[in-house]
Amino acid sequence: MPREAEISLNEREFIKQALQEQIRLDNRAFDAFRKLELTFGEEYGVADVQLGKTRVIARISIDVTTPLPERKFDGVFQIFTEFSPMASPAFEVGRPTDAEVILSRILEKAIRRSNALDTESLCIIAGLKCFALRADVHIIDHDGGLIDASCIAVMAALQHFRRPDVLVEGERATILSVREREPIPLSILHQPLCVTFSYFAEGEIFLVDANLAEEQVRNAEVIVTMNRHGEVCQIAKYGGVTVNPLAMLQCTNVALQKVKEMSKFIQQKLDEDAKRRDAGGLMAELSAENAR
Amino acid sequence: MPLDTSTYSLALLRLDGRRWNELRRIHAQISTQAAADGSSYLEMGNTKILVSVTGPAEGRQSGQRGGSGGQAKVEVEINFAGFSGMERRRRGGGDKRSKEMEHCVKSAFEGVLLLHLFPHSTITLNIHIISQDGSLLAACINASTLALIDAGIPMTDYLVACTAASSASSTAADNASADDPLLDLNTLEEQELPFLTVGTLGDSDQVAVCVMETRVRMERLEGMLAVGIEGCKRMRGILDGVVKGYGKRFG
Amino acid sequence: MPVSILPPTAPLPPRRDATSDDSDVDMSDDELTPQTKSIVTPGEHITSDPQWMRGHGTYVPSGETTIISTVAGHMHKTNKLLSVQPLRARYQPEIGDLVVGRIVSVQAKKWSVDIAAPMLANLPLSSINLPGGILRRRTAVDELNIRTFFSEGDLLVAEVQSLHQDNTASLHTRSLKYGKLRNGLFASLSGAGGGILSRRGGVVRSRRQVFTLNTAAGEIDVVLGVNGYIFISKHIKPAQSATDISITRLEEGVSETLYSSQNDEIEPAVMREITRVSTLIKGLVACGMRVDEDMIVRVYDGAVELEAEERSMGGANGVDKGIGAKGVVETVLGRLEVEAGG
Repeated sequence: MPREAEISLNEREFIKQALQEQIRLDNRAFDAFRKLELTFGEEYGVADVQLGKTRVIARISIDVTTPLPERKFDGVFQIFTEFSPMASPAFEVGRPTDAEVILSRILEKAIRRSNALDTESLCIIAGLKCFALRADVHIIDHDGGLIDASCIAVMAALQHFRRPDVLVEGERATILSVREREPIPLSILHQPLCVTFSYFAEGEIFLVDANLAEEQVRNAEVIVTMNRHGEVCQIAKYGGVTVNPLAMLQCTNVALQKVKEMSKFIQQKLDEDAKRRDAGGLMAELSAENAR
Repeated sequence: MPLDTSTYSLALLRLDGRRWNELRRIHAQISTQAAADGSSYLEMGNTKILVSVTGPAEGRQSGQRGGSGGQAKVEVEINFAGFSGMERRRRGGGDKRSKEMEHCVKSAFEGVLLLHLFPHSTITLNIHIISQDGSLLAACINASTLALIDAGIPMTDYLVACTAASSASSTAADNASADDPLLDLNTLEEQELPFLTVGTLGDSDQVAVCVMETRVRMERLEGMLAVGIEGCKRMRGILDGVVKGYGKRFG
Repeated sequence: MPVSILPPTAPLPPRRDATSDDSDVDMSDDELTPQTKSIVTPGEHITSDPQWMRGHGTYVPSGETTIISTVAGHMHKTNKLLSVQPLRARYQPEIGDLVVGRIVSVQAKKWSVDIAAPMLANLPLSSINLPGGILRRRTAVDELNIRTFFSEGDLLVAEVQSLHQDNTASLHTRSLKYGKLRNGLFASLSGAGGGILSRRGGVVRSRRQVFTLNTAAGEIDVVLGVNGYIFISKHIKPAQSATDISITRLEEGVSETLYSSQNDEIEPAVMREITRVSTLIKGLVACGMRVDEDMIVRVYDGAVELEAEERSMGGANGVDKGIGAKGVVETVLGRLEVEAGG
């Protein structure tokens, strides 16, 4: 199995020392994200996120199935992650590493368990038919911050996605094609976004959005997922060096600020995309959505 | 089925009759397995866990000799007994949730054990969950600590963990009356309330593990952490008593 | 439903199976017995006095002078050195230890031997007595025939010759006392680890570890490895003429049987005594007793006496009813104590 190239001892020391002098390798501030790029595909529900050199693509697809017997009124929503060998030779298809398991668990907890998506709205006929939504996350390039980037990609793709409208007459449901009726957006209840904090120097220094080199050197990580309303959706600190609890609370404040910025950025990109699609200004008339 | 926990605000007693800051009954034994280098059995209420430690020993796979960088490697395996939960069900080892727990226990102990004393060797923790009733991760960590002490593997301090919840739901934003954080949850409370698992190093306030899976207002976090850390300190006292009691018998 | 709602109970204090009286602590002459009864546990501050030096089982956090324990065990003070000996731990090899081991794998020029330590020990081909009578260098032929000396699963008794950087032991068997073990029974104290050394019980270093026990059925050899591995076998008398001939001739005579894996014929009576000794040793460990020559001889004699008495009484109670190794040893020790007192 090819192993991930470990960072050399010398570099390790260099990074640590530089951090003690308040310098990061790419000259960012300690609480600064790398340059975030977000582009949407031609189709609805494709989001391509670039965070520095890290690149993640998320794609939403939809299908119709029978709902689970214990959840008759809910649609199905699943997130699949795949680490492609093109991102790093250490990734292997079909054999999930610890990092992959953690990524998919964090996304699961951050987005699915926090009810970011209203799965009840995916139900067509209770107990018989529902939409099955599937989010595929592909890691295209790996330079650290995978969790943050994946979470942005999934949330952006969900907000960008439009599902076909459906006409229900008693027990009969007809899925209306895109040509018949304008597809409608998903109902998103809140927008959780992840911010990963990396700790150095026995928990004294913490960074936001570490790159791969910094990730290899760090002593501990704390992944905080929040929405812009100030709700914490998930916190994960799996061991590592110990951290002062007050510093952890401080993290949530920083995370909130970052999440607000990112939400704004995503919204701005969504608006731009909508404007581009809405060339003739007819969208408002075509929409079948009720103003809620 | 959402349970009605609203009665809590009336008598300030929880479903099982505890007050907000009470732990469940804890019973622990060490040296329970003759074949292991170290072992322990821990009950936190109805959560029952058996841990056995093998090692430090030569790694199982030949060729790859244990850990790298002059350190021992820690391996964790978590087994759920088929009868441990509500429904009788076999859980495969590839389950993502147990993998996450394995990863958590592994990286938590890598930070506590003095692994540089055993270069090239492997320390294997086998955790068997016999009965689950909340605070599972916390119980796994506590039981593993005991088993590692029994195996005589040096560590900087006890790694202890505890759960804490916020009794007000995330929607009722500003109702300060019944807003006590709760300590040491059982399954019913875990399903109902936002909670976190916090693990600290011994008597210090330093947080080694912190896992929260439910949505909660950020203002509530402080109270939950504080109560959790307080619970950890009490837990350390109890575990220390178990080890000392054992030392008295075999010392 | 496995989850039931408990009645309100105050959190019970930790169950300490308190010892009513230390009745089994009759071996107070044991040099391992510490001065203090209570133990220290991980994270316990031992002292912040800078005059003490830290030893095994302790650490000093960076930038501080406080010595903190890292294991649960007894504290020892050697001059100004503070160390904590864990109640139980894996065997840590030391140079000169007599160990019993088991061959795990055979490599080109060495064997890997399981001696219950964190790492497998090495036994280089150059550190064994090669057959042929004289002390000689190993040759390419020996390398090819490496499996004829020891192969996987063989038991041997050896001495720790040196330790490597990562605490891997190198063994040697360059003495007639050491070599392959056969004609007997292997016993491991405390499961895989044999890690009972530092507890009150266990094999004691610096006592005689290889001795011969006289039994009614014949003589039995007992090898007590410091690593907690024990081998009990039928005593093989050296050849009659051994006294007359020179050392080199002696080795020549022995070398034919040196690496034999074939057991000699063992009489049923001897087998019985071998299993009895093995059971008694396990019982001693279960009772938390020290295992050494003196103890084994005493307990063995006591057990034989006990059996004889019971047989004369018609086998009413005791050994045959299966009270277990621990029970037998407890009974015997109880009787010995009475004798000593009376």
